[in-house]
Amino acid sequence: MLKYFLRRLVMLGPVLFLVLVIIFSLARIIPGDPAASLLGPGATNEQIEALRAQLHLDENVVKQFLSYAGGLFVGDMGSSMKTGRPVFDEILSRLPATLELSIVATLMALVIGIPSGVYSAIRANSSFDHVNRTLSLVGVSAPAFLLALILQLIFGIYLGWLPVSGRLSPYLIAEPITGFIILDGIISGNFDVAWSAFLHVLLPASVLAAFLGATVGRFVRTSMLEVLGEDYIRTARAKGLSERLVIFVHALRNSLLPAITIVGLKFAEMLGGAILTETVFAWPGIGRFMFEAIKNRDYPVIQGNTLVFALLFMLTSLIVDLLYGYLDPRIRKRMSR
Amino acid sequence: MSAMEDLVYFLRKNPLVMASGSFLLVLLLSVIFAPLLVNYTPIELDITEKLAPPSRDHLLGTDYFGRDVLSRILYGGRFTLAIGIGVVSAAFLVGVVFGTIAGYFGGIVDTIIMRFVDALLSFPALVLAIALAAALGPSLTNAMLAVAITLSPQFARVARSQALSITVKPYVEAAVCVGVSTRGILFHYVLRNGIGPLLVHASLSLGSAILQTASLGFLGLGAQPPLPEWGADVSLNLQFIRESPWVTLAPGVAILLTVLSFNLIGDALVDWFNPRQRKED
Amino acid sequence: MGLKRGFLFLLSLTLLVFGNIVTGQADDRLKTLVVAVNSDPANLEPGTNKAYPIGSEIILNVFDTLVAWTPPAFEEMEGRLAESWTVSPDGKEFTFKLRDGVKFHDGTDFNAEAVKFSFERTKEINPYMKANFGLISSIDVLGPLEVKITLTKAMPVFLSILAQPQAAVVSPAAVKKFGDDFNVNPVGTGPFKFVSYTPDTSVVLEANTDYFRGASKLSRIIFRVIPEASTRRLELENGGIDISQQNGQLYSIPVEDIKAFNKNPDVDVIEVPSQIFRQFEFNNSHPDSPVNDVRVRKAMAYAIDYDGLLNGILGGTASRVYGPLPTNSWAFNPAMKERAFSYDPDKAKQLLAEAGYKPGDLKFKLYSFQGNLWGSICTFLQANFADVGIDVTVAQTEFPIYRNLHTTGQHEIAMDGRQPWYNDPDAHITIGYYSPLADSAMTFRMPEDAELDGLILKAQATVDFEERKELYFQIQEMIMDRVPAAYLFSNKIIVFKRSNVKGLVINSAPPLNEYWSVYKE
Repeated sequence: MLKYFLRRLVMLGPVLFLVLVIIFSLARIIPGDPAASLLGPGATNEQIEALRAQLHLDENVVKQFLSYAGGLFVGDMGSSMKTGRPVFDEILSRLPATLELSIVATLMALVIGIPSGVYSAIRANSSFDHVNRTLSLVGVSAPAFLLALILQLIFGIYLGWLPVSGRLSPYLIAEPITGFIILDGIISGNFDVAWSAFLHVLLPASVLAAFLGATVGRFVRTSMLEVLGEDYIRTARAKGLSERLVIFVHALRNSLLPAITIVGLKFAEMLGGAILTETVFAWPGIGRFMFEAIKNRDYPVIQGNTLVFALLFMLTSLIVDLLYGYLDPRIRKRMSR
Repeated sequence: MSAMEDLVYFLRKNPLVMASGSFLLVLLLSVIFAPLLVNYTPIELDITEKLAPPSRDHLLGTDYFGRDVLSRILYGGRFTLAIGIGVVSAAFLVGVVFGTIAGYFGGIVDTIIMRFVDALLSFPALVLAIALAAALGPSLTNAMLAVAITLSPQFARVARSQALSITVKPYVEAAVCVGVSTRGILFHYVLRNGIGPLLVHASLSLGSAILQTASLGFLGLGAQPPLPEWGADVSLNLQFIRESPWVTLAPGVAILLTVLSFNLIGDALVDWFNPRQRKED
Repeated sequence: MGLKRGFLFLLSLTLLVFGNIVTGQADDRLKTLVVAVNSDPANLEPGTNKAYPIGSEIILNVFDTLVAWTPPAFEEMEGRLAESWTVSPDGKEFTFKLRDGVKFHDGTDFNAEAVKFSFERTKEINPYMKANFGLISSIDVLGPLEVKITLTKAMPVFLSILAQPQAAVVSPAAVKKFGDDFNVNPVGTGPFKFVSYTPDTSVVLEANTDYFRGASKLSRIIFRVIPEASTRRLELENGGIDISQQNGQLYSIPVEDIKAFNKNPDVDVIEVPSQIFRQFEFNNSHPDSPVNDVRVRKAMAYAIDYDGLLNGILGGTASRVYGPLPTNSWAFNPAMKERAFSYDPDKAKQLLAEAGYKPGDLKFKLYSFQGNLWGSICTFLQANFADVGIDVTVAQTEFPIYRNLHTTGQHEIAMDGRQPWYNDPDAHITIGYYSPLADSAMTFRMPEDAELDGLILKAQATVDFEERKELYFQIQEMIMDRVPAAYLFSNKIIVFKRSNVKGLVINSAPPLNEYWSVYKE
């Protein structure tokens, strides 16, 4: 297992290097002087010079890249052009909000996706199956911003059940411990805070969960169908095991593996959706930070955020791979060879 | 079975595909013949008629400038369909060229290309598209370019695996023996025989291409006013959602229906080309 | 089967949960004011704040200035940290007697040294204040509570400038303690103490119970960051916020919201005329541009449907302006009403023909700020120009880029606005038309003009009121000859508040609110 893990890490090396190269080139893909282009058509010479210095543009490209990459290792992502504060700190303070949102969304997606996928597979080609499959395609096809608006209108305004925006009622103050407000509320025994934070996260998380849940449901259905057709299931049935036991103990366990993979892979795509969702719901995470940075053309922030998104993606893929290897002995053996 | 019979059978087995196909066909015809269908242009202002609710004159009402929403949707649909096809073609071209080269030559070429593909795939697609579009500057063309770049690595992967499986086939080996040029082999045998799965993947990508470009439009990184682009129109009219929901929801729902139609068709095509699934049906 | 029952159970559980939502305690809520702002507040102290509106409003509530405009008319000045003051006859020396017994939030004493420290610090580190504070030649501490400021030349508007948030007095001890972090840890003498800043979420202030004008009835103010105008609107309706100043930076169109809120008994709409000024302007000094020809500039000014813009797009939230000064300025020249351009497309076409341009010949890029209202105005003008055969594309650009475009003069046409921070014609004229400022401020791009520049300087330094007014009359005439812009409108300041919020005084120049007098019922 350890060997597999190490190999996986080594394979990650070149990819990580190229990811850095891509992010590094982002600020340099425009023809002409990147500093002038970044500042837009009307920059003064002083401003251009200042940015050139900040981006180390006067040195050669390799040196520039090395100092950029070297800086990253000590947590230096440059400074925000808007606030002047270090990008690393700014991102770090917003990261928990995004993680909290996406974890809740993932849980919601699993709670919706797995049962509906399983049920769809058991009742393949029933009307439930057809409706469910179509709905899941709707979930994949709906623009996140449209879904966000509709949920906001229905649950926030027409029904008035849930808060329209933000992360916590403004009247409450959370003691930051972990940065995950729901968790912090529970730890500090302030259940008003935990409850309020929970209510606030429901709508934005639903938007993200719609996409992920739909994807998970489709994959669970497919893999469940495959498993149900396998010999050992037939054997189990023939042995006279109850249908429920067959489905939940044998079939489900084996068909969850692909579901885990897909959650891992689609988790990152869901994070992309967070940029839209966080903007509409005024959710103070890195997605909205990215949006603000785009508005202000705050390039160090855009680069920093892009890197963090990519790192999160690579990390989840790594975890999924390891989990997969751990859960599926066939792969474990093959990979450690 | 002939191709035609195949198609008829396919459609009969998939009523939703039939519906989606019809919807897209109607959409295509209406965006082409938009000037005959609506009496307004998408950028003509009529301030006295602003935010009018749906009526006989304006089937989907008017926006803040008194512009006919239906006409904005129809003319905007031209961009949307062009975006879908343009972006996917670009991604197709770039991805397939690199993927085929990687698969055919193997070795160091393959490694370099595929590590680069892996790196591109390490970004959430929308994040990379946003970062690229922000760097290139806000415009519809740049947004399309950005989305095409983020979609191309997937094509490269599909093309590579096709190339890998085909290059070992006897007829390719035969071609190498009789001295057909590398380029000839690549395009004659490898590409032509691997085109099926690539087209399926292309049909699956149409939906996400449109969705992502619309998302960039929503963030202000795509089409600039007064171009009638659906994503940009949603964000432009966001502020009126409470009193005049139709101006915001109409372009949003248009995106949803179009993307859904493409996805339904793509989904059915995948099933269709997946032999195991086909047997089950 | 069991699965189905499980779904139903989950469903009913969810409904149960949603049906029973309770939030916050009523008592707490009445003492807390929630103000919606549209972006993350930056630079919460006078030394680093370059007139960013949200940070400036927070400064006004955390700090005090020496003097301030007296509400509700905002026509006279009153002392704040200064008890009284005298101005020397030549208008160059200002001597202030300071209030005794005032303490900063950190417990240190407010005194003349603190005033000297603050002003010198701001003069040195805040480029935004260079144009004004640059004229300070010395600040002398005459006694613990007496300070004298000497200027290099007379400047009648100096007192107004001292009322700006950027001229607030900071705690020297706190500046030393926090260093660069002072801008997120502001310490002043004001009615509210700074408590916390959470990026992209909120700034929390709490009442200063020892405030020298008496403690506020509120115990807390929360500035809540909500970027989307539509979300702010929904939050106001839901009671998630108490006050929303939608119109501050023209990011949203408030007209439709006003209509809706007028029907809603829980929400009040306050509309106050302002000196905020919006115009469509030319780069007169662009050597190769068609707009260098005054006939083209005039043609474009005639092409605009001013009334359509006011009634259709702005729906009564703005009033017409005619020349370089708003009609409610004391220096407004009534002759401008006659000289102003009116909507006359035929005349526009004729002027273009005279200048030698056929329809379709002229193509321009119209630069504008971001935000929906700017977008709407541009879309409207674009249609107007298309009617006379001028092809205009709109480029809504981010503020920093936009500012650069202006200062380097690379644009041909652009939308622009001026939000005067002090109540004096100088705030429009000097920053707008004094050509040596062209490369640093958002000045109209006009060729250097010694006569006009001389007149502006003279008006700035003239102490006699009538004489000064006459000079501004002349200046307005001269500017109108040069057609640097089509003056569009002055928008009202529009504030939405929950109807249980009382005691709010709306300030128009600068358009920032002090919440000291506010309470909730």
